[in-house]
Formats: sequence, structure tokens, C-alpha cells
Amino acid sequence: MTNDDVQQMSFEDSMKALETLVAQLEGGQLDLDQSLQVYERAIALRDHCRKILDESDRKVQTIMATAAGDQRADFKDVDG
Amino acid sequence: MTETVSVTELNTRVKELFSRSEGLNDIWVAGELSNVKRYSSGHYYFTIKDSGSEIRAVMFRSSRSRIDFEPADSLKVQAFGHVDMYVERGSYQFIAETMRVAGTGDLYMQYEKLKKQLEAEGLFDSARKRPLPVYPKVIGVVTSPSGAVIHDIITTTRRRFPVDILLAPAQVQGEGAAVSVVAGIQLLNRVGVDVIIVGRGGGSIEDLWAFNEEPVARAIAASKVPVISSVGHETDFTIADFVADVRAATPTAAAELAVRDRHEVIRQLEDCVLRLNKALTAVSERQWARFRVLDSRLAPKRAQEMVGMLVLHLDELSTRLAAALGNRVGAMHRRFARAEGQLDPAVRTMLVAKRAEAAAASARLEALSPYSVLGRGYSFVAGSDGRAITSVKGLTVGSLVIVRMRDGRAAAEVKGKEEYHD
Repeated sequence: MTNDDVQQMSFEDSMKALETLVAQLEGGQLDLDQSLQVYERAIALRDHCRKILDESDRKVQTIMATAAGDQRADFKDVDG
Repeated sequence: MTETVSVTELNTRVKELFSRSEGLNDIWVAGELSNVKRYSSGHYYFTIKDSGSEIRAVMFRSSRSRIDFEPADSLKVQAFGHVDMYVERGSYQFIAETMRVAGTGDLYMQYEKLKKQLEAEGLFDSARKRPLPVYPKVIGVVTSPSGAVIHDIITTTRRRFPVDILLAPAQVQGEGAAVSVVAGIQLLNRVGVDVIIVGRGGGSIEDLWAFNEEPVARAIAASKVPVISSVGHETDFTIADFVADVRAATPTAAAELAVRDRHEVIRQLEDCVLRLNKALTAVSERQWARFRVLDSRLAPKRAQEMVGMLVLHLDELSTRLAAALGNRVGAMHRRFARAEGQLDPAVRTMLVAKRAEAAAASARLEALSPYSVLGRGYSFVAGSDGRAITSVKGLTVGSLVIVRMRDGRAAAEVKGKEEYHD
């Protein structure tokens, strides 16, 4: 089983899933193989969250409703 | 006998008369300011006049902080204070303790009226307040594109958490401001953001007025996404603040409410890893304990298989764990390298130790196994029931036995026997 789907998950979903997996593993009801799968998926989720956290390049845009539809433009902060 | 008094005495009596007169104390006087002069002492001297009359007035420096506008000529005001006699000059004046710009009183009344009405409708109820999203992807902002508000929000969110910002530029004071703010809130709702910050910087009640207007209050209440208000200074409360899901004292505080601090989130993530490692160690310990029980109970052959499987499992665990950790190391941020370096080697070391222990146990069992010696040229004899025969006493001439060798077995007949007596 791969954990590639994790890459598509939102930060919030990833955090929630991670908490659930931690609780599952801590519950101690899983055998070794299941535990390992849970562990690997949890680590993948953690990595995914960290990747999102390390993204520094985020958009700041303005939006205005015009006759031609909603117009977006990059916003340049004075000191930014 | 008519009384003769000094001028000073006369003026002093008038002063006393003034101070005892209810109609001249603690009153509001309405008029227009003129001849406004501010002295270096910080006191203001001016005339308040209307179409029929005028009065000299003063506002002392100590009272200046009570008003949020600069007194200026031709400003229509209402001044609160009392009439006082200036004994030395024989002139009287109005001592203004506070002032408000004319019309402001109407604004206060409108404010109170709308506040009561919306409160009665339940628009301020705490049950209506929605929780803010924990990890918004896009923050919508309705404010002036040139003000300090958007700057503070951009700076603060950038410091705290990676998030996109979508600004609906709005006029935040003057004619048409309320319409502009309402349009911004509705636009952001339409394009879809996770949370909206509505605000503007500090100012007089007139400056903040748009946020006391009913359409703005209704637009906030109708917003599908939670709204954080940040209007004016900490001490200003507008209607918008009461309707908003959360009221922030400053734009920076609004941004802090909108996104979590990434350092706090990272701590939480690392705590998860810590717990995972602990839990996985516990799983492994349990597995190992179970094996020990089996080891003591089962036949050597079965136990050997168990050990073999466990070694395989541990090998796999170790490899997969190393791979998982390896991937992660690649994604690791330099800053946290040290903290993380301390976490996972503990699990790694544990696994290596377990594997060595398992291998040793396996080797010990193998040495004990009867099958292993077969490889060295030995064989053993079993009866037809499969039980090993360890004494010639159990053999009778002519009976059939099984000879077990390394790679197979043979049936044999006992031709004769001899018992050793050491």
C-alpha cells in the first residue's frame, strides 16, 4: 500500500488523519504489520504537513467585480 | 443705607452667583467655533457663536484628551461645561470640559437605536458565532488597499502560517463606504474564502461610521464564512464588531486569530512523531514478549519457524522504518534537524537490538534442534509411531524402524541388537 494519496490532502485533513493514526497505534489493537502500515502513513502525513508549513511563497491578490467578471491582480504591499 | 463695594468684591460676588446657578453649570451649549487659538500651554481659546450672540470660551489642556477632533474655525460643535467669571477683567466665559462635533449626538442615537434593534433580533447572540477554521487556505480581507490594516495582516500571516490572502479593496470611510464594504463581503463570499477579516484603522466616530450602518451589519450576519472584525482602536466598539463572529482589537490580532503559529503546529507534529515512536516500540515489545512465551511452550521445530518469521518481520520493519525515516530526513527543515535526530534513532536502535536478539535466539534454537545435526553425518531412529528411539531396550529383532537422515528417511529391519554396559 502506498501513501501517495497523502500529497493531495489538505493540511487540516492531514492533521486530523495524523491524530487519528497516532491514537490507533497507541490503542495497541494492531498487529505488527498493521502497526507498521499505520506508522508509515503517519510519517508520510507528517512530512506532508511539514512541506506545507515550509512553503513561503503564498499569493496576495486583490479581487474586484467588474462588468467583465471578477478581476484578480497581484497585490504589492507597501513594505512587503 | 446703600452698600459700597470694591470692583474686586463685586466681580467676586458675580463669580459666586455664577457658580451657584444651576442654569450656568453642567450644560451643553451649541454653536460655531471662531477665533480658535491654541496656546503653547496647550489651552485652547475660542469664541462660540450663533446667529444672534457669542461667548468667549476656553478649553484647558487637561480637557483636550476628551475630544477626538482638533477644534477649528467654523466647526459646529456642542460644548459641555460651565460659565465662569474672570474677576480681573470683569468678563465671563464658558469653560468647555468636553465638546462634540454637532450631529455626532444624532449618530450616537442612531448607533444606540440600531444596536438595540439588532440585539433584539438576536444578531449578537453568542449562539450565532461560528468557530473560525483552524487551517484556512485563503483569508479574505475587506479594507482599504492603502491602509495599515492590510499591511499588518500580510506581515502577521506571513510570519505565522502559509496562507493566501485575497483583498477586496473597499472604501472604508465617507459617502458610499458602507456600500463598498458590503460589496466586498459579498464578493469574497461568492468567490469562496475560508474566513473574512473586515476592518479599518482608528478614527473619529464619523470615520468609523460605515461599520455602524445596518447594511454592513446585515452583510456580516449573512456571510457564509466566519467574519473577524477589526475596526478602529481597541476601545471602539462598532455594530460590525457585535455582529462579527470574532472581534479583534487590532489588525495584527485579527491575523493572529485567523491563522495558527507554525511553530506551535510543528511542536504538535513532533509530539505526534514522539507518540508514534513510543507506540511502535510498545507493539514490538509485545510481539517479542509473545514470542518468548511461545518459545518456551512449543516444540523446537515450531519455535524455530517462529523465530525465523520474527527475524523476517524485524528485518522488514527495520528496512521499512529506515526508508520512512530516510524519506522524511529529505524533507526535513534544517532548523529542526537536531530535535528530530534525537527522536528516531531511539527506535532504530531498539530495532537493531531486537533483530540481533532474535538472530541469536534463532541460532541457539538451531543448535538444539535434532535436525541440524543430521547435516553433520548423524541420523536418528524412530519407531513406526514416529517417536525417536533412544535405547536398544525398546527394540525387538525383526521389528521395522525408520532411519531419519538429513535429506530423507529409510525403512529398516532390526536384524539383531547388542546392549552396551559402560
